[in-house]
Amino acid sequence: MKETLLLTKHMRENPENSHLIEVYEKNNGYSAARKVFKENNPGDVIEEIKTSNIRGRGGAGFPTGVKWGFLAEDEERYLVINADESEPGTFKDRILLERDPHQLIEGIIVTSFASNISKAFIYIRGEYAKPARRVQDAVEQAYEKGYLGKNIFDSGKDLDVVVHLGAGAYICGEETALLNSLEGRRGEPRLKPPYFPAVKGLYNKPTLVNNVETISSVPWIINNSGKDYAKLGVEGSTGTRIFSLSGHVNTPGNFEIEMGCSFGEFIDNFGNGIKENKSVKAYIPGGASAPWFTGEQLDIKMTIDDVANAGSMLGSGAVVVMDEDTNLVLAAKSIVSFFAHESCGQCTPCREGTTWLEMILERIASGRGRTSDIDLLLDVCDNISPGLAWPPQMTTICPLGPSAVSPITSLMGSFREEVESLLPKKVLINNE
Amino acid sequence: MSWDSKLIDRAKEIIELYPQKRSALGPLLYLAQEKEGYIDDDSVVEISKLIGITEVQVRSVASFYTMYKQEPSGKYLLSVCKSISCEINNSKEVIDNIKEFTGLANNETDIESTFTFEEVECIGACGGAPAVQINYETVEGVTPTKALELCKYLKEEVPEVIVADELQDKFGGTKSFDWAIEDNSGTSSTAPGFQIIGTSEEK
Amino acid sequence: MSENIKFTVNGNELEAKSGELLIEACENSGIHIPRFCWHKRLEPVGMCRMCLVEVETPRGKALVPSCTTEITEDLVVETESEVVTKAQEGILEFLLINHPLDCPVCDKAGECPLQDQTMAYGPGESRFVEEKRHFEKPISISEIILLDRERCILCARCTRFSDEISGDPLIEFIQRGNKTEVNTFPDEPFRSYFSGNTVQICPVGALTSTSYRFKARPWDLKKVSSTCNCCSVGCSIELNTSQNKMLRILGEDNEFTNQGWLSDKGRYNFDYLHSENRVLNILNKSEDSFNEISISEAMTKIKNKIDELDNPNVKFLLGSSSTNEEYFVINEIGNYLNKDKFLSRDSSNIYFGDDLLFEGYFGDQYSQAKLEDLDNSETIVVWAEDIKDNLPILYLRIKKAVKNGSKLIVFGHTNTSIAGLADFYFGADIVSNKFELIRNPNEIEDLKNNIEGKKVTVIAGKSTVFQKKESLDKLINFLNEKSELQVFNAFSKGNTFGALQNIDEVKGLNEFCNEFDTNAKNIVFTIGVNPVNSSFFGQKIKEKLIASDFVISLDLFVNETTELADLILPTTSLGEKEGTVTNMEMRVMKQNKILPAPGSTLSEWEYLSSILNVLGEDVNYKNENEINNYLSEKYINQEKLPTFDNLNKPSNLFGVINKKDININIKDLEEDNFSLLMVRRLYGDSSTQINSPSISMLGAHKFIELNSTTAKKYGINSKVGNLIQGPNSILINIDINEYLPDDLVIAPINRRGFENIDPCLDFDITEAKNREELNVN
Repeated sequence: MKETLLLTKHMRENPENSHLIEVYEKNNGYSAARKVFKENNPGDVIEEIKTSNIRGRGGAGFPTGVKWGFLAEDEERYLVINADESEPGTFKDRILLERDPHQLIEGIIVTSFASNISKAFIYIRGEYAKPARRVQDAVEQAYEKGYLGKNIFDSGKDLDVVVHLGAGAYICGEETALLNSLEGRRGEPRLKPPYFPAVKGLYNKPTLVNNVETISSVPWIINNSGKDYAKLGVEGSTGTRIFSLSGHVNTPGNFEIEMGCSFGEFIDNFGNGIKENKSVKAYIPGGASAPWFTGEQLDIKMTIDDVANAGSMLGSGAVVVMDEDTNLVLAAKSIVSFFAHESCGQCTPCREGTTWLEMILERIASGRGRTSDIDLLLDVCDNISPGLAWPPQMTTICPLGPSAVSPITSLMGSFREEVESLLPKKVLINNE
Repeated sequence: MSWDSKLIDRAKEIIELYPQKRSALGPLLYLAQEKEGYIDDDSVVEISKLIGITEVQVRSVASFYTMYKQEPSGKYLLSVCKSISCEINNSKEVIDNIKEFTGLANNETDIESTFTFEEVECIGACGGAPAVQINYETVEGVTPTKALELCKYLKEEVPEVIVADELQDKFGGTKSFDWAIEDNSGTSSTAPGFQIIGTSEEK
Repeated sequence: MSENIKFTVNGNELEAKSGELLIEACENSGIHIPRFCWHKRLEPVGMCRMCLVEVETPRGKALVPSCTTEITEDLVVETESEVVTKAQEGILEFLLINHPLDCPVCDKAGECPLQDQTMAYGPGESRFVEEKRHFEKPISISEIILLDRERCILCARCTRFSDEISGDPLIEFIQRGNKTEVNTFPDEPFRSYFSGNTVQICPVGALTSTSYRFKARPWDLKKVSSTCNCCSVGCSIELNTSQNKMLRILGEDNEFTNQGWLSDKGRYNFDYLHSENRVLNILNKSEDSFNEISISEAMTKIKNKIDELDNPNVKFLLGSSSTNEEYFVINEIGNYLNKDKFLSRDSSNIYFGDDLLFEGYFGDQYSQAKLEDLDNSETIVVWAEDIKDNLPILYLRIKKAVKNGSKLIVFGHTNTSIAGLADFYFGADIVSNKFELIRNPNEIEDLKNNIEGKKVTVIAGKSTVFQKKESLDKLINFLNEKSELQVFNAFSKGNTFGALQNIDEVKGLNEFCNEFDTNAKNIVFTIGVNPVNSSFFGQKIKEKLIASDFVISLDLFVNETTELADLILPTTSLGEKEGTVTNMEMRVMKQNKILPAPGSTLSEWEYLSSILNVLGEDVNYKNENEINNYLSEKYINQEKLPTFDNLNKPSNLFGVINKKDININIKDLEEDNFSLLMVRRLYGDSSTQINSPSISMLGAHKFIELNSTTAKKYGINSKVGNLIQGPNSILINIDINEYLPDDLVIAPINRRGFENIDPCLDFDITEAKNREELNVN
């Protein structure tokens, strides 16, 4: 089993200087941009993306071509690249930003051409200072070459790109929170409806918000074809995808593969198995928000639909492996703490509930749990995400609150004894 | 301290990048942090004047984001990740060692203003867990022992510029991926080493 | 657009307007959905999640907040299903885990939505065994507002109000997630003219007023609806009393006027009612001091004095706080003592105490505006004194209209505080420093383009007593000719329009000074007015009063004017009398009585009809209702009379608009060489305000405004200086206001320290050391 290198090909072949514009160009870089300007048919570009069937790589998996098709008419339209990669377990966009920034910029140029956009923003999480420097350098190189700025590629079109640094807020990965943040506001998700960014986005203008990996795929699709892209992977999960593998594996890292193999194969092949030859107790298939699978569920296929059918999500493509000795209560607590810390605070259930869950788990983990705590945990979860179903019902504006429920339902579903072992034994009194 | 004309000109240049003034709030807050090590009240007043919103609106936004510090920070901001991949790869011991070395609890700064210590959520270095950041420059695969050495180095050598690659070579281990490209850029403040205009000048 | 559509709630088919919010549509059909953050005058935020209901979607039932969900055709809603109930109970539990159990000492207890809903829907006991979130207990966020962050449930009502409605976002969310709190910026407290509204709409006891703190329990309060008289908008209010003391005034939601909001002056200017300084017995001046006498002694004294003076000139100086019924009787006695009985029979003898009053734009050629016209105006034009300071709720209505798309055009130089809101602000290049139009209205393109053939509302008034009306006439007549115009005469003081409607002819203070014949015998009545303190003509009036043979003051306090009286007849005030008032739309509204008249006080009409009686005139008004019937006879539209009976009908609770002929006889002032523009601010040294401890300090801020060029001329760089005129020197804050033209300096009138400043004399401004430095040293 091997990787299929589309997005990571250039960086692999030119490891020391893949970030330089001259190296990128020497390797066929900016040919997609030249091509679309030469052919000068924006509709064809959108068609090509639709044909590719590529789905958004940020987590929600929405078909990219369809999203582009939604973009409302307006004199002012914006493109915003969501580089706020913050889902625990995920570091795939980081490599694309650091090691192949021009591929992203070229994707931005093609996308902006297709949608008649003249201002784009790359919103990079604040903790990615180094990747942001690389991208900013690349943007400046592209300006010097005339690929950005006024009359780019002598096409008569203008395109400005601003690299905007976030400042420590996971929630800004949620696209409407990101837009608020980019407007200089608190990163609070907007009410939906009515705000679909493609209709009312940045400054209430039609806005495309796309993930780094999605837009980085665009040059390949244009250089080859949507059809060729769609041949890769499986139906519903076409193309390649960069998975971030971390946790108790021997060789963690980013791996670009066609979707369709099983998690077990993926972990064995690329992670080279579990450290110290241990077995897998549980793994997270798609970032911290996703419900866990157990070590018995390693044959689930790595496609959007297969994972969904099994009760979780492929999400941001982050696979976190936990070995047999992992304290899953602490692991769950870590994830719940994450969401409690990252809650924006708008919705009561998320603001109060996630912190409460954290407190209960802390109590259990430190041996101060009560026999009633399992019921309490589940009921508090139920008040955040009624029915504890997947995909989750929500009492909140955005899915952050329900995301904190995932590790708890996972824990209680398959590893309940592990929690119970930390609680005092139930004492039977006479009338019970 | 209020802003001098050079800083105000820089702020105005940044504001120009955006279709609406308020969008520049984030970058302007970083100017303040770079200058003072945190978002001080005087800077809040300056920024509110520059973009035409009230002081409390500036404070409201600044306090939403964890990277805009509300208290003065030390010369080195030590951020240790404790999210899931780091958690299961023993970040707790890294945290304990740094706490012991610096004598600091979470979100504290020492009297000499050398270190500010904080436990943070995911910094996108999960393949290189446990990971830390010094002034937002990432070092991956930092063992508890290496963490101590890193602190010692900072305390004794007091480097002016924090360069990730340098620290990674000295104190890092497993990386999330091959960094490949040689890079000596870095930062000299507790604001992330990035300039929205002319970032290549920052070394 | 707003056709009715059908939807189903709990199995019952209902109707609502398309696009209406579910929570509102249910409310209109009598189905109450619990909520905390939703408020019908604020943009929905869907934050508290208390109003979750189940709706049917193509993918099955889903929980949605009813405050952000619009009604669509055939929407099927469950508001009481098991899922909904469970979710709502869950929200309440979440809200309560960090809410302190301090209801026994909380002002809100008894009228607290959180408490009420906990009783109705809440869990019996808490499953939360952890430590609650702690904040420092109440902190002052302004002189009049306290914030208890532990009680706050983060509904964003206060933050939305100050951002969306009042436009001064000085209170905001700080921090995020579970640490979120509301707060102000340390050096910039919640200094808003409208801050009290946030206390009223706070769904818990997080925001409280210093004036009401620990004063009463809601169940002990007596309540009555009434009308505010602080300015001529006539906001609907609810008076709350306990044990015969006014404890609180709340805004009532009158769709036509204030829509629930009040200015802080309207809300908090009532402590004076119970001030120990208030005059509660008739005071008679003998030699240089006052002694108390009885009503019969007073009446005898008045009769004797009039007889003794033998045909004196009798003049009336009026304030703006009388009711229509009182003005009606004042008019009666004025006519009797003047036209019918004594001297100067050919002229009115009633003078209204407002320097900015002038003939205005009445008559058939001008259509009188209503506040709701603002919402339908394509363009709003303002040229008047400072609207935000003097007609604060009108400012909110303008702001709302602008938010909904009306264009705003503002002429200089007094409304700089709304310049930022305006599409066009016409400063020095269009309006001279003497408030003349430098260019003809039809030469001003931005004006022309936005009014020609459009629906326009103009707010017109003089900006200063020195302003000649010629330019204003030019503008109004231009607008009247070119647009579909509605006119507001921006006379801002209290019941001005009630006075105008009920007094045959009204003159001004300048006329009073000019017509006062020092050689004749003079009797002057001052009724609820203190011109010596608050008018440009103050010094002159003081001289005239001193020169008068007999001065009778009907008032609440001994002040700069009434101290010159020979006889002070103590009167009743808000809540102590019944009557009607007329607002700037000519809307007549009811003021109701809830407090007994304190001490020996009587209403103005009672004194005046007694005086008529002792003089031998056969009047015998039994009560306000009877006077109201008389004055109603004179309204033009006899179909819709503002009688007490009519006003008490549910359909007329928010007032009745009707017209009377208005006759104002005021000429431009000859003088127009002023060096300092003195303007009225919301807060000042009125007798009522300085005797209301909870807001008296708000009038203490001393400041001037000027632009930076002018500041440079005076050589000022600092924010603190001295205003010097002759022997007077006032330490002032210097506010740079770039909307002002060169060489125009603005100072507040009727404010501590400025009483001896003459706007027509030269002055100087010098730099003072920075106040902070002064403190350090």
